[in-house]
Amino acid sequence: MKIDWEKIDIKSLAAIISKKLNEKGIDAILVGGACISIYTENKYLSGDLDFISHASLKQLTAALSDLGFQRKSSRHFIRKECPFFIEFVAPPLSIGDEPVKSIREIKTKFGKISLLTPTDSIKDRLAAFYHWNDPQALEQAIMVAKAQKIDLYEIERWSMQEGHEGKYKIFIKMIRI
Amino acid sequence: MLEGLFGNVIVEKIFFFLNTYGEGYPSGIANTFGEPVNRIQQQLKRLEDGGILASRLVGKIRLYTFNPRYPFLKELKALITKSYDFLPELEKDKYYRMRTRPRRAGKPL
Repeated sequence: MKIDWEKIDIKSLAAIISKKLNEKGIDAILVGGACISIYTENKYLSGDLDFISHASLKQLTAALSDLGFQRKSSRHFIRKECPFFIEFVAPPLSIGDEPVKSIREIKTKFGKISLLTPTDSIKDRLAAFYHWNDPQALEQAIMVAKAQKIDLYEIERWSMQEGHEGKYKIFIKMIRI
Repeated sequence: MLEGLFGNVIVEKIFFFLNTYGEGYPSGIANTFGEPVNRIQQQLKRLEDGGILASRLVGKIRLYTFNPRYPFLKELKALITKSYDFLPELEKDKYYRMRTRPRRAGKPL
């Protein structure tokens, strides 16, 4: 299938990357803003795709070079004409000090994507709001909460454990507006 | 003390520095220890790539802190705090008890 790199959308790109990595025997989970883009159908548009993988950078570089991506600096990869860049975030796959236990799989015409669940995507964004007061991360968490079925009890449990009851209440208030 | 574990004496110094002062920038950390800035920058970048540190730009300065989202942060800080107790008092005085309270601009001392 011919790929139009200039016009590619984030979901298709995530699937193309995932498929290529799988072909090379590499597992990678999509995390971060790209998950928000997918769950909000691009209401929020991320400029990059963050993956977590336990493969070495050497293996990742070799796999992505098949698609024309080049390693730009440390963990970043870019491709001519492609509007998104790829980053491999250091493992482990965790939110706060807890490991991520469930993964969502989405099928596309380009292949499967393994990514954080909507609930974990919200926790991931709320972690940025809790620790760095990032209002954009709160906004993104609210967008996903309004667009997807989520487990609020789990988000509440995790927020209490992180010690951010006050900020969790702000999140709850905002999703009910 | 933790050099054997971290494989690098600079990393140990960075960890003690950030555990004591909460945050730091490359030239400030380098000046404290009398180390070349590029050696400090190299290790800060490596630790940031590993998700252990986080940084943000404040004006023209890149300020580093422990990454509050690093899953083993509590355990790492416990190790650093415990090993800090074993440092000689002279070393603690020299590097880790510097003035951190504000100093008004223009004050001669």
